[in-house]
Amino acid sequence: MTVIEEPGAPILIPTRDEAKIARRERLRLLFRSPTFVIGLVILGFWVVCAIFGTQIAPQNPQADDILNKLAPPSGDHLFGTDRLGRDVLSRVIVGAREILIMAPLATLLGTILGTAIGLATGYYRGFADEASMRLVDALLSVPVIITALLAIVALGPTRITIILVIALVFGMIITKTVRAAVLSERELDYVQAARLRNERGPYIMVAEILPNVTGPIIVEFTVRLGYAIFTIATLAFLGFGADPSIPDWGTDISEHYPFISAGVWWAVLFASLAIASLIVAINLIADAIAQTFER
Amino acid sequence: MGRFLLKRLGLAAITLFLLSVLVFFGAQVLPGNVARRILGPFADQAAVDALNEELGTDQPLLTQYWDWISGLLTGDLGESLALGVPVGELIGDALVNSFKLAALAFVLVVPLAILGGVVAALRRDRLTDRVITIGGLSLAVLPEFVTGIVLILVFGLWLEILPVSANAPPGSGFFTQIKYLLLPAFVLVILLFGYIARITRAGTIEALDADYTRTAVLKGLPRRTVIQRHVLRNSLLPTIAVVATQTGYLIGGLVVVETLFNYPGMGRLIVTASRQKDLPLLEAGVLVVGIVFLVAMLLADLMYSLLNPRIRYSRAE
Amino acid sequence: MDETQHRVDEVRRERSKLENHLIDEYVLGKITRRELVRRGTVVGMSLPLLSFIAAACGGDDDDGAATGTGGTETTATGDVQPGGTIRVALIQPTTEPNPLLVQDEGGAGMLGATGEYLSFSDENLELQPRIAESWEPNEDGSAWTFTIRQGVTFHNGATLTANDVVETFEKLINPDGGSVNAQSALGGVLSPGNTEAPDDATVVFNLDAPNGNFPTLVSSANYNAIIIPADLDPADWGQTFEGTGPFKLQNFSPQVGATFVRNDAYWGEPANPETIDVKFYAEEGPMVVAFQGDEVDFVEHFSVAGGRALLEDPNTQVIAISTATHRQLHMRTDKEPFTDARVRQAIALSIDRAALVDGLWEGRAEIGNDSPFAPLYPSTDTTVAQREQDLDQARQLLADAGMEGFEVQLDTWDGFEIPDLAQLVKNYAQEIGVTVSLKITDAATYYGDGVFGKSTWLDSVMGITDYGHRPVPNVYLSSVYTSEGTWNAAHFKNPQADQLIAQYVAALDVDSQKAAAKQIQELLLEETPVILPYFYNFLSAAKPNLQNAISAATGQFDLSRAGFTA
Repeated sequence: MTVIEEPGAPILIPTRDEAKIARRERLRLLFRSPTFVIGLVILGFWVVCAIFGTQIAPQNPQADDILNKLAPPSGDHLFGTDRLGRDVLSRVIVGAREILIMAPLATLLGTILGTAIGLATGYYRGFADEASMRLVDALLSVPVIITALLAIVALGPTRITIILVIALVFGMIITKTVRAAVLSERELDYVQAARLRNERGPYIMVAEILPNVTGPIIVEFTVRLGYAIFTIATLAFLGFGADPSIPDWGTDISEHYPFISAGVWWAVLFASLAIASLIVAINLIADAIAQTFER
Repeated sequence: MGRFLLKRLGLAAITLFLLSVLVFFGAQVLPGNVARRILGPFADQAAVDALNEELGTDQPLLTQYWDWISGLLTGDLGESLALGVPVGELIGDALVNSFKLAALAFVLVVPLAILGGVVAALRRDRLTDRVITIGGLSLAVLPEFVTGIVLILVFGLWLEILPVSANAPPGSGFFTQIKYLLLPAFVLVILLFGYIARITRAGTIEALDADYTRTAVLKGLPRRTVIQRHVLRNSLLPTIAVVATQTGYLIGGLVVVETLFNYPGMGRLIVTASRQKDLPLLEAGVLVVGIVFLVAMLLADLMYSLLNPRIRYSRAE
Repeated sequence: MDETQHRVDEVRRERSKLENHLIDEYVLGKITRRELVRRGTVVGMSLPLLSFIAAACGGDDDDGAATGTGGTETTATGDVQPGGTIRVALIQPTTEPNPLLVQDEGGAGMLGATGEYLSFSDENLELQPRIAESWEPNEDGSAWTFTIRQGVTFHNGATLTANDVVETFEKLINPDGGSVNAQSALGGVLSPGNTEAPDDATVVFNLDAPNGNFPTLVSSANYNAIIIPADLDPADWGQTFEGTGPFKLQNFSPQVGATFVRNDAYWGEPANPETIDVKFYAEEGPMVVAFQGDEVDFVEHFSVAGGRALLEDPNTQVIAISTATHRQLHMRTDKEPFTDARVRQAIALSIDRAALVDGLWEGRAEIGNDSPFAPLYPSTDTTVAQREQDLDQARQLLADAGMEGFEVQLDTWDGFEIPDLAQLVKNYAQEIGVTVSLKITDAATYYGDGVFGKSTWLDSVMGITDYGHRPVPNVYLSSVYTSEGTWNAAHFKNPQADQLIAQYVAALDVDSQKAAAKQIQELLLEETPVILPYFYNFLSAAKPNLQNAISAATGQFDLSRAGFTA
């Protein structure tokens, strides 16, 4: 969406055993939170659609019926038909697949990238750190959507490009968070102890520090996941999707937006609600997770 | 104070320089040949080559970069390849439009969000708080085209009380122009409300729990005065910071809103320029957006440190 | 001897061979009165003369020409109030206003707003005199003489002379920096240096070869050919929009719009409206919404898909022009899987054209028969059997060719209804066992550099290309279907086709054109290098109280006689 959030405050992590107990506590807290459960249910629904979509959908989402195009919701077509006469309900159900493949993949890649760079710059500091941070700031001073757009215009609107671009930009954002967490960790005793044992840098980063910063990373992942869905849908709406025959919420909305003025609302509304529900669900989950870490 | 400012300026300058490099060399990656894009696929190869030579696109990249940067620093942003008009003019107009929309959005959302945040903080963890926080959050994560489409449907086509294009007829009065900008501004309000309200709420809670508040209450001051005099000022600090960070997005990131409402702002200008590989326009446009963002951040940092005495005297970063 | 007949003979004696051919055909009943008038104006005969011939020589009355041109401009010209401002919605021009560089509809609209052509090609394919008062060919059509109207002034006050016309065309066809569009129309027809102005009121075009359709090639159908002052650099045109038309420029803002005011010094009848206010729209959606919101009175061009609201709204005047605008679905004849003509025919037979016309175009199109001979051309032979969907035969052909169930990629771009067509083609192909995967990018990527080896359009095995309207099929034939054609995406090399096309282009009368056309049409059905499913109408929308708004299928609009009724 809009914001480049400032890195959160460092988190005090207890020792290993306490950590396991804390984790279990956290999970219990999560499931008691109504917002978390609601979010999980909605997300679960869409995941089921993504996996079993073609079996669940009442009709073939690609079957056209051009003479019956743009028909309002009826018994045959609960959500109406689209501009080529395809069943909107089926397209909405199957459309979950595209976004639920691309967004988590992009976010995962970005998280890995951001964690790696954040660990390295946070631990080693020095000139490389300063330089990278300036670079990251430069990249982030332009709104995400613009950067993504330019990359797609440059490299072509394929799924791979979209995933990589989002991974890159979100990676930069996550870097800042991870780096901040590492900065406070590296002053702690256990890190000093490891250094005194002559452990190498990479070992310290991965084996010692990383397990202790998983909290912020998980929170970042879930938050970014929501943003990724948002961005991918927006890019599709702006016309940068790939193959328009494959059901995709953003692309379908983009193709049917002009029909609103003709009173054809169904081809747009249901896909919009789908996107909205998915994003809200993920944000509810992300928020609940963040809150458990804050306690 | 002065050292702090200088250091921040210096950092910003470096970031800006890096951005210019990224933008310039990034734009070179855009596919297609500049002259070919302008002349179209049916033009003679000889004509394309001639135009490329005229535009200087066949020179070594570093030379081109230097020409561009030195031009910028002297105020010459070049000429739009597709439209034949000085880039400065195009950006100037688009920037003004973007600022208008951003200003209207801010004027609407800031008081609303601050009010919401404070109320939510005062009624912490009660129903009002949950509604404001969760409702605001949920609305804020919706893509702009979703909220935009719904607003257009409801207010523009079904109720017919607001115009659906953001462009008032030329020569319209101030209030008419505002009327045309209301729908796109509402989209932005919905987008920003949740986040600003949440930050204000957090700041207010912190202020409410702080020592000086307790002291004021113990001193016997009425609750309202306490809130007005102590709490508000401190809760506004993070709000200011947030508002500033949104400026960059509001100036260049409104591609969707501008497309939906046919509004000639910076976002749409940049997209058009990238599609047409209009390098001078594209590069200058992206750079301007970056500059606006960095300036806004700088101002935010400045205001924050001015208003928060604790920071003023500590070391930066 | 009959007095009338005597006069007819006199008239005929003075006419060229070309014109006499025309009269013969009319007398023998081979063309209708309507076609006589249409062909006659193209060739340079005046309307009074044509009416005389039509009346004197009897012949058939209108017998329902092949094309229903559908609602042209609106009915009565009376009751239109003088003055007023007409607000127009136009698609955003993608180039700067330079007559040499314009290649898009928005740009064409700008050129035609203040500029004028030698003649205006109307929706009946007739040429109405503008800067040229009259024109006529020499004996065999290899040289055309245009009489230039006197007393015409540019908006800056300078008087227009024949020299301005000569220089305009020299700039257009200049190999070193001319107009790509003009060159595609006039390449091989008119070469630089062969246009002269023996006096201020006459221009002679000495052609490379006889060409019966030449006047159309220098009319408004060639939208870059507005006549500009000889001493004006086309790159500077955008500053003043210099022209001779009934409107002149008041101001222009590249991303926003332009305003034009009545030119009181116009050579003809002064324009009816006071002001024309044009607004640019990056996309169709906002345009339609603006029209419904009463922010504009006239939408220059809207599509069936994007303007559905307008088509269904009883409060909108839909103005439809029959055109030759079409899509070409090419299949590379030199590459698998399309080397066997039976495979190509099979794909062509899988398509339900009637459904496309009714479903995709709401009936506002004409069915195509896999050749560029649109129903609206007089030279089209309408006796050739129309190909229709036949899935069984398609499957049989694939089986005969041993090509059952293959995969192929279709490349195209995302403009207009092309993605819809691509998806429908994909589904049709699926029904006969062919799997088509779609790769849809943007125009610049699809067209690339426009030459073989550097253009997806020309290199792809299967693709969809859009072709704009042209008043005669010559360009389509020569550029697409000949062995050396520069637009021959199907890589179709057939000597017989080359010969027939040459025959068609050289033919000066409708009869021989039709004969050649018939053979070409049949050959193309047999070989089917390209599937041409439809020719669709050009649609404009006007508010119900706006009368006499005229559009041309190339993007120009003529609002000089337009106005609002009370």
